[in-house]
Amino acid sequence: MRLTIDRDHADPVYEQVATQLRRLIATGALAQGTALPSVRRLSGDLGVNLNTIARAYRLLEAEGFLAIRDRAGVTVAAPAREVEPAARAMLLEQIRATLARLRQAGMAPDELIGVLKAEVDAMDNPKGESR
Amino acid sequence: MNGEALVINGFFIFRVFLVGAMMFAVPRILRKGLLFGAYVGEEVDGGQASRDLTHRWDIGTAAVMAVALLVGLSISAAGWPLQGNLTGTAVLLLGAFANYLRAYSEARTLIPPDVAKRARVSIASLDARDPNEAGFASIVLGICLLVSLGGFVFTVVGSTPIVLSDKARLAALFVASLNLVISPFFALLGLLIANAKRSIRSGGDGSLVGQDKFRATMVGILMGSALLQCSWYTLISVELTRFGLDGLKSPGIWLLAVVLILFWGGSLGWAAATRGQGGAHLESDPETPLTGGLADNDHWFWGLFYVDRDDPSIMVEVRFGLGYTFNYGNQSAQLIVATVSVLLLCVSAFGIFAWVA
Repeated sequence: MRLTIDRDHADPVYEQVATQLRRLIATGALAQGTALPSVRRLSGDLGVNLNTIARAYRLLEAEGFLAIRDRAGVTVAAPAREVEPAARAMLLEQIRATLARLRQAGMAPDELIGVLKAEVDAMDNPKGESR
Repeated sequence: MNGEALVINGFFIFRVFLVGAMMFAVPRILRKGLLFGAYVGEEVDGGQASRDLTHRWDIGTAAVMAVALLVGLSISAAGWPLQGNLTGTAVLLLGAFANYLRAYSEARTLIPPDVAKRARVSIASLDARDPNEAGFASIVLGICLLVSLGGFVFTVVGSTPIVLSDKARLAALFVASLNLVISPFFALLGLLIANAKRSIRSGGDGSLVGQDKFRATMVGILMGSALLQCSWYTLISVELTRFGLDGLKSPGIWLLAVVLILFWGGSLGWAAATRGQGGAHLESDPETPLTGGLADNDHWFWGLFYVDRDDPSIMVEVRFGLGYTFNYGNQSAQLIVATVSVLLLCVSAFGIFAWVA
Protein backbone atom coordinates (compact mmCIF):
# COMPACT_ATOMS: atom_id res chain seq x y z
CA MET A 1 0.00 0.00 0.00
CA ARG A 2 1.54 3.25 -1.09
CA LEU A 3 1.27 7.01 -0.85
CA THR A 4 2.03 9.23 -3.79
CA ILE A 5 2.74 12.94 -3.67
CA ASP A 6 3.20 15.31 -6.56
CA ARG A 7 4.99 18.56 -5.75
CA ASP A 8 3.39 20.19 -8.81
CA HIS A 9 -0.14 19.37 -7.61
CA ALA A 10 -2.36 22.30 -6.62
CA ASP A 11 -2.94 20.86 -3.11
CA PRO A 12 -0.15 21.23 -0.56
CA VAL A 13 1.78 18.03 0.21
CA TYR A 14 0.36 17.59 3.72
CA GLU A 15 -3.16 17.78 2.27
CA GLN A 16 -2.30 15.19 -0.39
CA VAL A 17 -1.04 12.84 2.32
CA ALA A 18 -4.06 13.44 4.54
CA THR A 19 -6.53 12.98 1.68
CA GLN A 20 -5.04 9.62 0.68
CA LEU A 21 -4.86 8.34 4.24
CA ARG A 22 -8.45 9.43 4.88
CA ARG A 23 -9.60 7.50 1.85
CA LEU A 24 -7.60 4.38 2.75
CA ILE A 25 -9.03 4.40 6.26
CA ALA A 26 -12.59 5.12 5.12
CA THR A 27 -12.48 2.27 2.58
CA GLY A 28 -11.12 -0.12 5.18
CA ALA A 29 -7.87 -0.65 3.29
CA LEU A 30 -6.16 0.50 6.47
CA ALA A 31 -7.87 -1.37 9.29
CA GLN A 32 -8.27 -0.13 12.84
CA GLY A 33 -5.06 -0.56 14.81
CA THR A 34 -2.82 -0.69 11.72
CA ALA A 35 0.51 0.94 12.47
CA LEU A 36 1.68 3.63 10.06
CA PRO A 37 5.30 4.53 9.34
CA SER A 38 6.89 7.00 11.73
CA VAL A 39 7.00 10.66 10.76
CA ARG A 40 10.75 10.38 10.17
CA ARG A 41 10.46 7.26 7.98
CA LEU A 42 7.61 8.60 5.83
CA SER A 43 9.11 12.08 5.40
CA GLY A 44 12.48 10.50 4.53
CA ASP A 45 11.03 8.15 1.92
CA LEU A 46 8.93 10.92 0.37
CA GLY A 47 11.78 13.42 0.60
CA VAL A 48 9.65 16.07 2.30
CA ASN A 49 10.08 18.06 5.48
CA LEU A 50 9.35 16.29 8.79
CA ASN A 51 6.81 18.99 9.67
CA THR A 52 4.80 18.25 6.53
CA ILE A 53 4.09 14.66 7.57
CA ALA A 54 3.68 15.65 11.23
CA ARG A 55 1.06 18.20 10.16
CA ALA A 56 -0.84 15.60 8.10
CA TYR A 57 -0.79 13.13 11.00
CA ARG A 58 -1.94 15.78 13.49
CA LEU A 59 -4.78 16.83 11.17
CA LEU A 60 -5.97 13.22 10.89
CA GLU A 61 -5.64 12.75 14.63
CA ALA A 62 -7.85 15.79 15.21
CA GLU A 63 -10.38 14.37 12.74
CA GLY A 64 -10.39 11.05 14.59
CA PHE A 65 -8.74 8.96 11.85
CA LEU A 66 -5.43 8.36 13.63
CA ALA A 67 -4.23 7.80 17.17
CA ILE A 68 -0.76 9.10 18.03
CA ARG A 69 0.94 7.65 21.10
CA ASP A 70 4.55 7.92 22.13
CA ARG A 71 5.31 4.21 22.39
CA ALA A 72 2.82 2.69 19.97
CA GLY A 73 3.54 5.30 17.33
CA VAL A 74 0.88 6.23 14.82
CA THR A 75 -2.03 3.83 14.38
CA VAL A 76 -5.41 3.88 12.69
CA ALA A 77 -7.98 4.90 15.29
CA ALA A 78 -11.15 3.05 16.13
CA PRO A 79 -14.12 4.30 14.10
CA ALA A 80 -16.13 6.88 15.98
CA ARG A 81 -19.41 5.31 17.10
CA GLU A 82 -21.17 8.63 17.22
CA VAL A 83 -20.38 11.91 15.62
CA GLU A 84 -21.26 14.99 17.60
CA PRO A 85 -24.27 16.78 16.08
CA ALA A 86 -22.25 19.93 15.48
CA ALA A 87 -19.48 18.01 13.70
CA ARG A 88 -22.05 16.06 11.69
CA ALA A 89 -23.75 19.28 10.63
CA MET A 90 -20.39 20.75 9.61
CA LEU A 91 -19.49 17.67 7.52
CA LEU A 92 -22.90 17.70 5.81
CA GLU A 93 -22.46 21.40 5.09
CA GLN A 94 -19.08 20.61 3.49
CA ILE A 95 -20.75 17.99 1.29
CA ARG A 96 -23.45 20.46 0.28
CA ALA A 97 -20.86 23.09 -0.56
CA THR A 98 -18.83 20.60 -2.62
CA LEU A 99 -21.93 19.38 -4.47
CA ALA A 100 -22.90 22.97 -5.22
CA ARG A 101 -19.44 23.67 -6.62
CA LEU A 102 -19.59 20.59 -8.81
CA ARG A 103 -23.06 21.55 -10.11
CA GLN A 104 -21.77 25.05 -10.76
CA ALA A 105 -18.88 23.48 -12.69
CA GLY A 106 -21.40 21.84 -14.98
CA MET A 107 -21.63 18.31 -13.58
CA ALA A 108 -25.01 16.69 -14.30
CA PRO A 109 -27.08 15.39 -11.35
CA ASP A 110 -26.90 11.79 -12.63
CA GLU A 111 -23.14 12.07 -12.90
CA LEU A 112 -22.95 13.44 -9.35
CA ILE A 113 -25.05 10.60 -8.01
CA GLY A 114 -22.87 8.10 -9.90
CA VAL A 115 -19.68 9.52 -8.38
CA LEU A 116 -21.14 9.47 -4.88
CA LYS A 117 -22.38 5.90 -5.29
CA ALA A 118 -18.99 4.77 -6.62
CA GLU A 119 -17.24 6.32 -3.62
CA VAL A 120 -19.61 4.69 -1.14
CA ASP A 121 -19.28 1.34 -2.95
CA ALA A 122 -15.49 1.65 -2.80
CA MET A 123 -15.71 1.95 0.98
CA ASP A 124 -17.52 -1.40 1.09
CA ASN A 125 -15.12 -3.05 -1.39
CA PRO A 126 -11.65 -1.74 -0.55
CA LYS A 127 -9.00 -2.30 -3.18
CA GLY A 128 -6.13 -1.21 -1.01
CA GLU A 129 -4.51 1.20 -3.42
CA SER A 130 -4.34 4.93 -2.95
CA ARG A 131 -4.89 7.51 -5.68
CA MET B 1 64.67 -6.06 -11.57
CA ASN B 2 65.05 -6.84 -7.87
CA GLY B 3 62.52 -8.57 -5.63
CA GLU B 4 61.22 -5.36 -4.11
CA ALA B 5 60.52 -3.83 -7.52
CA LEU B 6 58.74 -7.02 -8.57
CA VAL B 7 56.42 -6.82 -5.52
CA ILE B 8 55.71 -3.11 -6.11
CA ASN B 9 54.97 -3.71 -9.80
CA GLY B 10 52.82 -6.71 -8.92
CA PHE B 11 50.71 -4.61 -6.56
CA PHE B 12 50.45 -1.89 -9.21
CA ILE B 13 49.28 -4.27 -11.95
CA PHE B 14 46.79 -5.86 -9.53
CA ARG B 15 45.41 -2.39 -8.66
CA VAL B 16 45.04 -1.40 -12.34
CA PHE B 17 43.08 -4.55 -13.12
CA LEU B 18 40.97 -4.25 -9.94
CA VAL B 19 39.96 -0.64 -10.68
CA GLY B 20 39.46 -1.52 -14.36
CA ALA B 21 37.19 -4.45 -13.46
CA MET B 22 35.15 -2.17 -11.21
CA MET B 23 34.83 0.42 -13.99
CA PHE B 24 33.62 -2.23 -16.42
CA ALA B 25 31.19 -3.67 -13.87
CA VAL B 26 29.50 -0.57 -12.42
CA PRO B 27 27.29 0.42 -15.41
CA ARG B 28 25.99 -3.15 -15.45
CA ILE B 29 24.82 -3.34 -11.83
CA LEU B 30 22.80 -0.09 -11.68
CA ARG B 31 19.05 0.27 -11.31
CA LYS B 32 17.31 0.60 -14.65
CA GLY B 33 16.84 4.21 -15.77
CA LEU B 34 20.18 5.40 -14.37
CA LEU B 35 22.96 5.99 -16.87
CA PHE B 36 26.38 7.21 -15.68
CA GLY B 37 24.98 9.29 -12.84
CA ALA B 38 22.05 10.72 -14.78
CA TYR B 39 18.45 9.55 -14.59
CA VAL B 40 17.38 9.16 -18.22
CA GLY B 41 14.31 6.97 -17.68
CA GLU B 42 13.85 3.28 -18.36
CA GLU B 43 13.06 3.62 -22.07
CA VAL B 44 16.21 5.56 -22.95
CA ASP B 45 18.31 3.36 -20.68
CA GLY B 46 17.22 0.30 -22.63
CA GLY B 47 17.81 1.95 -26.04
CA GLN B 48 20.60 2.01 -28.61
CA ALA B 49 22.01 5.39 -27.46
CA SER B 50 22.56 3.95 -23.98
CA ARG B 51 24.28 0.85 -25.36
CA ASP B 52 26.52 3.04 -27.55
CA LEU B 53 27.48 5.18 -24.55
CA THR B 54 28.30 2.11 -22.47
CA HIS B 55 30.42 0.79 -25.37
CA ARG B 56 32.37 4.08 -25.48
CA TRP B 57 32.80 3.83 -21.69
CA ASP B 58 34.31 0.34 -22.08
CA ILE B 59 36.75 1.57 -24.74
CA GLY B 60 37.68 4.55 -22.53
CA THR B 61 38.24 2.24 -19.56
CA ALA B 62 40.52 -0.04 -21.58
CA ALA B 63 42.47 3.02 -22.82
CA VAL B 64 42.87 4.40 -19.28
CA MET B 65 44.15 1.04 -18.04
CA ALA B 66 46.62 0.76 -20.92
CA VAL B 67 47.99 4.29 -20.42
CA ALA B 68 48.29 3.80 -16.64
CA LEU B 69 50.21 0.54 -17.11
CA LEU B 70 52.45 2.08 -19.77
CA VAL B 71 53.31 5.12 -17.62
CA GLY B 72 53.73 3.22 -14.36
CA LEU B 73 55.83 0.36 -15.73
CA SER B 74 57.98 2.69 -17.88
CA ILE B 75 58.95 4.75 -14.83
CA SER B 76 59.54 1.53 -12.89
CA ALA B 77 61.75 0.16 -15.69
CA ALA B 78 63.79 3.36 -15.54
CA GLY B 79 64.73 2.44 -11.96
CA TRP B 80 62.00 4.10 -9.87
CA PRO B 81 59.42 1.40 -9.08
CA LEU B 82 57.72 3.27 -6.20
CA GLN B 83 57.41 6.48 -8.22
CA GLY B 84 56.12 4.43 -11.14
CA ASN B 85 53.52 2.84 -8.91
CA LEU B 86 52.31 6.19 -7.58
CA THR B 87 52.35 7.98 -10.95
CA GLY B 88 50.60 5.10 -12.70
CA THR B 89 47.94 5.01 -9.98
CA ALA B 90 47.40 8.77 -10.32
CA VAL B 91 47.02 8.39 -14.09
CA LEU B 92 44.58 5.53 -13.53
CA LEU B 93 42.38 7.45 -11.08
CA LEU B 94 42.42 10.73 -13.00
CA GLY B 95 41.76 8.90 -16.27
CA ALA B 96 38.86 6.99 -14.69
CA PHE B 97 37.37 10.23 -13.38
CA ALA B 98 37.76 11.98 -16.75
CA ASN B 99 36.15 9.00 -18.49
CA TYR B 100 33.25 9.19 -16.02
CA LEU B 101 32.74 12.94 -16.53
CA ARG B 102 32.71 12.46 -20.30
CA ALA B 103 30.11 9.66 -20.01
CA TYR B 104 28.07 11.71 -17.51
CA SER B 105 27.93 14.78 -19.76
CA GLU B 106 26.87 12.59 -22.70
CA ALA B 107 24.23 10.84 -20.56
CA ARG B 108 22.74 14.20 -19.59
CA THR B 109 22.05 14.97 -23.25
CA LEU B 110 19.85 11.85 -23.36
CA ILE B 111 17.52 12.96 -20.53
CA PRO B 112 13.97 13.25 -21.94
CA PRO B 113 12.09 16.48 -21.14
CA ASP B 114 9.41 14.74 -19.04
CA VAL B 115 11.90 13.30 -16.54
CA ALA B 116 11.97 16.51 -14.51
CA LYS B 117 8.21 16.27 -14.05
CA ARG B 118 8.42 12.61 -13.03
CA ALA B 119 11.02 13.51 -10.45
CA ARG B 120 8.50 15.81 -8.78
CA VAL B 121 6.49 12.73 -7.82
CA SER B 122 7.50 10.67 -4.79
CA ILE B 123 6.12 7.37 -3.62
CA ALA B 124 6.39 5.85 -0.17
CA SER B 125 5.23 2.49 1.06
CA LEU B 126 2.96 2.48 4.08
CA ASP B 127 4.27 -1.00 4.85
CA ALA B 128 7.80 0.32 5.38
CA ARG B 129 8.87 -0.03 8.99
CA ASP B 130 11.88 1.07 10.93
CA PRO B 131 14.48 -1.52 9.92
CA ASN B 132 15.56 -4.39 12.19
CA GLU B 133 19.15 -3.80 11.09
CA ALA B 134 19.22 -0.50 12.97
CA GLY B 135 19.23 -2.25 16.36
CA PHE B 136 22.01 -4.59 15.27
CA ALA B 137 24.02 -1.64 13.94
CA SER B 138 23.61 0.24 17.23
CA ILE B 139 25.01 -2.73 19.18
CA VAL B 140 27.99 -3.01 16.82
CA LEU B 141 28.60 0.75 17.13
CA GLY B 142 28.69 0.37 20.91
CA ILE B 143 31.08 -2.61 20.70
CA CYS B 144 33.42 -0.75 18.33
CA LEU B 145 33.48 2.32 20.57
CA LEU B 146 34.21 0.25 23.69
CA VAL B 147 36.88 -1.97 22.11
CA SER B 148 38.68 0.84 20.28
CA LEU B 149 38.62 3.00 23.42
CA GLY B 150 39.94 0.06 25.46
CA GLY B 151 42.73 -0.46 22.92
CA PHE B 152 43.61 3.22 23.05
CA VAL B 153 43.74 3.29 26.85
CA PHE B 154 45.90 0.15 26.88
CA THR B 155 48.25 1.78 24.38
CA VAL B 156 48.58 4.86 26.56
CA VAL B 157 48.94 3.24 29.98
CA GLY B 158 49.62 -0.43 29.15
CA SER B 159 52.55 -2.05 30.91
CA THR B 160 55.21 -3.63 28.75
CA PRO B 161 57.99 -6.06 29.53
CA ILE B 162 60.36 -4.25 27.20
CA VAL B 163 61.39 -0.64 26.78
CA LEU B 164 59.67 0.62 23.69
CA SER B 165 61.36 2.81 21.15
CA ASP B 166 59.68 6.16 20.52
CA LYS B 167 58.81 5.00 17.03
CA ALA B 168 56.95 1.90 18.26
CA ARG B 169 55.11 3.92 20.93
CA LEU B 170 54.05 6.53 18.36
CA ALA B 171 53.05 3.85 15.85
CA ALA B 172 50.90 2.13 18.50
CA LEU B 173 49.26 5.44 19.41
CA PHE B 174 48.65 6.23 15.75
CA VAL B 175 46.95 2.88 15.06
CA ALA B 176 44.87 3.13 18.26
CA SER B 177 43.78 6.69 17.33
CA LEU B 178 42.90 5.61 13.81
CA ASN B 179 40.86 2.76 15.27
CA LEU B 180 38.92 5.20 17.46
CA VAL B 181 37.80 7.08 14.33
CA ILE B 182 37.52 4.46 11.58
CA SER B 183 35.78 1.51 13.24
CA PRO B 184 32.96 3.47 14.92
CA PHE B 185 32.55 5.46 11.69
CA PHE B 186 31.96 2.25 9.72
CA ALA B 187 29.43 1.12 12.32
CA LEU B 188 27.76 4.56 12.22
CA LEU B 189 27.56 4.32 8.43
CA GLY B 190 25.78 0.98 8.85
CA LEU B 191 23.32 2.58 11.25
CA LEU B 192 22.66 5.45 8.84
CA ILE B 193 22.27 3.10 5.88
CA ALA B 194 19.74 1.05 7.84
CA ASN B 195 17.64 4.25 7.91
CA ALA B 196 18.53 5.49 4.42
CA LYS B 197 15.93 6.89 2.06
CA ARG B 198 13.98 4.57 -0.22
CA SER B 199 13.38 5.60 -3.83
CA ILE B 200 10.78 3.20 -5.12
CA ARG B 201 9.24 2.72 -8.51
CA SER B 202 5.78 3.80 -9.54
CA GLY B 203 4.74 0.23 -10.40
CA GLY B 204 4.21 -2.48 -7.80
CA ASP B 205 6.15 -2.89 -4.59
CA GLY B 206 8.81 -5.06 -6.26
CA SER B 207 11.46 -2.38 -6.07
CA LEU B 208 10.84 -2.00 -2.33
CA VAL B 209 11.57 -5.67 -1.63
CA GLY B 210 14.82 -5.63 -3.63
CA GLN B 211 15.87 -2.35 -2.07
CA ASP B 212 15.34 -3.56 1.49
CA LYS B 213 17.32 -6.75 0.82
CA PHE B 214 20.15 -4.69 -0.62
CA ARG B 215 20.05 -2.35 2.36
CA ALA B 216 20.21 -5.27 4.80
CA THR B 217 23.15 -6.72 2.85
CA MET B 218 25.07 -3.45 2.93
CA VAL B 219 24.42 -2.99 6.65
CA GLY B 220 25.72 -6.52 7.23
CA ILE B 221 28.87 -5.84 5.19
CA LEU B 222 29.56 -2.60 7.05
CA MET B 223 28.97 -4.21 10.45
CA GLY B 224 31.29 -7.09 9.56
CA SER B 225 33.90 -4.61 8.31
CA ALA B 226 33.58 -2.49 11.45
CA LEU B 227 34.09 -5.49 13.76
CA LEU B 228 36.96 -6.96 11.73
CA GLN B 229 38.72 -3.61 11.42
CA CYS B 230 38.24 -2.88 15.09
CA SER B 231 39.76 -6.27 15.98
CA TRP B 232 42.63 -5.78 13.55
CA TYR B 233 43.58 -2.26 14.61
CA THR B 234 43.23 -3.17 18.28
CA LEU B 235 45.46 -6.21 17.84
CA ILE B 236 48.11 -4.14 16.04
CA SER B 237 48.14 -1.41 18.69
CA VAL B 238 48.25 -3.95 21.54
CA GLU B 239 51.04 -5.99 19.91
CA LEU B 240 53.04 -2.82 19.20
CA THR B 241 52.61 -1.76 22.82
CA ARG B 242 53.61 -5.16 24.17
CA PHE B 243 56.48 -6.08 21.85
CA GLY B 244 57.47 -2.89 20.02
CA LEU B 245 57.93 -3.07 16.24
CA ASP B 246 58.53 -6.83 16.55
CA GLY B 247 54.84 -7.08 17.44
CA LEU B 248 54.05 -6.53 13.75
CA LYS B 249 55.37 -10.06 13.12
CA SER B 250 52.42 -11.53 15.03
CA PRO B 251 50.68 -14.09 12.77
CA GLY B 252 47.28 -12.94 14.09
CA ILE B 253 47.76 -9.52 12.49
CA TRP B 254 48.49 -10.99 9.08
CA LEU B 255 45.74 -13.57 9.36
CA LEU B 256 43.17 -10.88 10.20
CA ALA B 257 44.42 -8.73 7.32
CA VAL B 258 43.82 -11.59 4.90
CA VAL B 259 40.38 -12.26 6.41
CA LEU B 260 39.50 -8.56 6.10
CA ILE B 261 40.54 -8.36 2.44
CA LEU B 262 38.71 -11.60 1.60
CA PHE B 263 35.62 -10.37 3.46
CA TRP B 264 35.57 -7.04 1.62
CA GLY B 265 36.25 -8.49 -1.81
CA GLY B 266 33.93 -11.46 -1.37
CA SER B 267 30.99 -9.66 0.21
CA LEU B 268 31.03 -6.61 -2.08
CA GLY B 269 31.47 -8.82 -5.17
CA TRP B 270 28.64 -11.04 -3.98
CA ALA B 271 26.38 -8.04 -3.28
CA ALA B 272 27.12 -6.54 -6.71
CA ALA B 273 26.50 -9.84 -8.49
CA THR B 274 23.41 -11.07 -6.65
CA ARG B 275 21.70 -7.88 -5.45
CA GLY B 276 22.89 -5.19 -7.87
CA GLN B 277 23.07 -1.56 -6.85
CA GLY B 278 19.97 -0.71 -4.78
CA GLY B 279 18.66 -4.26 -5.32
CA ALA B 280 18.57 -3.72 -9.11
CA HIS B 281 18.82 -7.46 -9.79
CA LEU B 282 15.91 -8.24 -7.44
CA GLU B 283 13.45 -5.68 -8.75
CA SER B 284 10.30 -7.22 -10.19
CA ASP B 285 9.13 -4.01 -11.88
CA PRO B 286 12.24 -2.34 -13.33
CA GLU B 287 10.32 -0.99 -16.34
CA THR B 288 8.31 1.50 -14.27
CA PRO B 289 9.82 4.93 -13.51
CA LEU B 290 11.87 5.66 -10.43
CA THR B 291 10.48 8.42 -8.26
CA GLY B 292 11.82 10.92 -5.76
CA GLY B 293 15.49 11.46 -5.00
CA LEU B 294 17.09 9.05 -7.47
CA ALA B 295 15.04 10.40 -10.38
CA ASP B 296 15.78 13.99 -9.49
CA ASN B 297 18.65 15.18 -11.72
CA ASP B 298 18.62 18.75 -10.39
CA HIS B 299 19.88 17.87 -6.91
CA TRP B 300 22.73 15.61 -8.07
CA PHE B 301 26.04 17.27 -8.93
CA TRP B 302 28.09 15.31 -11.51
CA GLY B 303 25.73 12.47 -10.67
CA LEU B 304 27.87 11.82 -7.59
CA PHE B 305 26.89 14.32 -4.88
CA TYR B 306 23.31 14.65 -3.64
CA VAL B 307 22.43 18.05 -2.15
CA ASP B 308 18.82 18.69 -1.18
CA ARG B 309 18.14 20.89 1.84
CA ASP B 310 14.43 20.02 1.86
CA ASP B 311 15.06 16.27 2.01
CA PRO B 312 15.39 15.07 5.62
CA SER B 313 17.26 11.92 4.53
CA ILE B 314 20.84 11.70 5.72
CA MET B 315 21.79 8.98 3.25
CA VAL B 316 20.54 7.96 -0.18
CA GLU B 317 21.56 5.30 -2.71
CA VAL B 318 24.40 6.26 -5.04
CA ARG B 319 23.51 6.64 -8.69
CA PHE B 320 26.83 5.32 -9.97
CA GLY B 321 28.70 2.74 -7.92
CA LEU B 322 27.70 0.40 -5.13
CA GLY B 323 26.16 1.53 -1.85
CA TYR B 324 25.00 4.81 -0.39
CA THR B 325 26.10 8.42 -0.11
CA PHE B 326 25.36 11.38 2.11
CA ASN B 327 22.76 14.04 1.37
CA TYR B 328 25.19 16.94 1.66
CA GLY B 329 22.31 19.40 2.00
CA ASN B 330 21.25 17.81 5.29
CA GLN B 331 22.70 19.45 8.40
CA SER B 332 23.24 16.15 10.26
CA ALA B 333 25.10 14.75 7.26
CA GLN B 334 27.23 17.90 7.05
CA LEU B 335 28.08 17.60 10.74
CA ILE B 336 29.04 13.92 10.46
CA VAL B 337 31.18 14.43 7.35
CA ALA B 338 32.90 17.50 8.81
CA THR B 339 33.58 15.81 12.18
CA VAL B 340 34.98 12.62 10.66
CA SER B 341 37.07 14.60 8.15
CA VAL B 342 38.59 16.76 10.88
CA LEU B 343 39.31 13.71 13.06
CA LEU B 344 40.91 11.85 10.15
CA LEU B 345 43.02 14.90 9.29
CA CYS B 346 44.22 15.12 12.89
CA VAL B 347 45.05 11.40 13.01
CA SER B 348 46.79 11.62 9.61
CA ALA B 349 48.84 14.60 10.78
CA PHE B 350 49.80 12.63 13.89
CA GLY B 351 50.71 9.64 11.68
CA ILE B 352 52.96 11.79 9.49
CA PHE B 353 54.58 13.22 12.62
CA ALA B 354 55.13 9.69 13.98
CA TRP B 355 56.60 8.51 10.68
CA VAL B 356 58.97 11.49 10.37
CA ALA B 357 59.97 11.16 14.02
